[in-house]
Amino acid sequence: MAPILDIRNLPDADLVSLAQEGKEAAYKELIRRYERPVFSLIFRMVRDREIAEDLAQDTFIKVLNHIDRYRPEFKLSSWLFKIANNVAIDHLRKRQLETISIDGSPHAASAAEVEATQMDVVARQETALEEMEAKEIGRAIERAIESLRPEYRSCIMLRHVEGRSYEEIAAMLDLPLGTVKTYIHRARHQLREALGSIRD
Amino acid sequence: MKHRHLLPEEIDLLLDGEEGFGVAPLRNHLEQCPACQADYRALAAVVGGLESLPLVAPSPAFTERVMQQVQVFEPWHVALRDTGSRWMPQSSIGRVFAGATGGVVAVAMTLVAVWLGQRADAVLFLANLVLQRTREGLMSAAHSVALSLFGDSAAAAIQGGGTLALLAATGALVATVLAVAFGVKTLATAGRRRRS
Repeated sequence: MAPILDIRNLPDADLVSLAQEGKEAAYKELIRRYERPVFSLIFRMVRDREIAEDLAQDTFIKVLNHIDRYRPEFKLSSWLFKIANNVAIDHLRKRQLETISIDGSPHAASAAEVEATQMDVVARQETALEEMEAKEIGRAIERAIESLRPEYRSCIMLRHVEGRSYEEIAAMLDLPLGTVKTYIHRARHQLREALGSIRD
Repeated sequence: MKHRHLLPEEIDLLLDGEEGFGVAPLRNHLEQCPACQADYRALAAVVGGLESLPLVAPSPAFTERVMQQVQVFEPWHVALRDTGSRWMPQSSIGRVFAGATGGVVAVAMTLVAVWLGQRADAVLFLANLVLQRTREGLMSAAHSVALSLFGDSAAAAIQGGGTLALLAATGALVATVLAVAFGVKTLATAGRRRRS
């Protein structure tokens, strides 16, 4: 018997090596590892669950079908987020973005569809009161994010949801470092203004 | 730092948790200035809110849908290696036995190769013999053809000249045949024109 490899504990670089050798389990683990961050980024960019699923799917297909071209000197996650951002921005450029509620897709025709398109969030709250407050702030921030320009949106998400450095964001989005700093600065201030009315 | 409020970029530095000599005076000012504290707190609340945003999950069938469109490609060298490893015994005794068998086979093949190498001279001798006999047969046939077509002197020249003379005679014969064929064709064409 070959030694059983605990694929979930492997670093990304090793998983990519296994994927390059044609190991299907490595592909699946890469998807499992990044489906939520990638989907979250795209969803918050396009604000539509169905479209976000399609675009996230495109992102993974593009990356995994070209896994042989992956250069190990870069982070796999950076490559994924770069593609995810590009597909989301391309989509937004092709179609006029319809601003929607976090509570469901505007294309939903029935209550069941509304429920099906609601955000399936991973709760981090502890008490019921904290959960309610956090949900309210979360919803307010989600709504405020909708009002940002797509470029600001991707920068602020990568900085504060994904915890990426300014340099990483600049590399991922092919933007000058100063531009990334400016976008994040402006996004923070716009969000502050948008949230100000709620707090008041 | 007491004479002015913090600039927006300076508040950004504090929000990003920057450390260093330049940041210490900013922190000191922040502790003492209620207006800057209010600015900082408002922005820190935004950052805190963003950082606590939950991840959004795609549908449960997401992985399967992606995998249906991903082409999993196994390079030939990996396939070869995996096939080899499938044939490899799993127990250590089996591996030792397989290794020993492989070694014996390798030694045997080497010995066979050396043995064949030592007898290469015999193979070369046989090849030369066959070549010589073939050449003699061809010369004899060419001599007969030259004798019947061009007479004794041409046959003697071919026999004396060896392979080069044989090739020259063959070339001359082909050229003669072609010239005759061309001449006959020209005469026939001229006759047809005259008749018409």
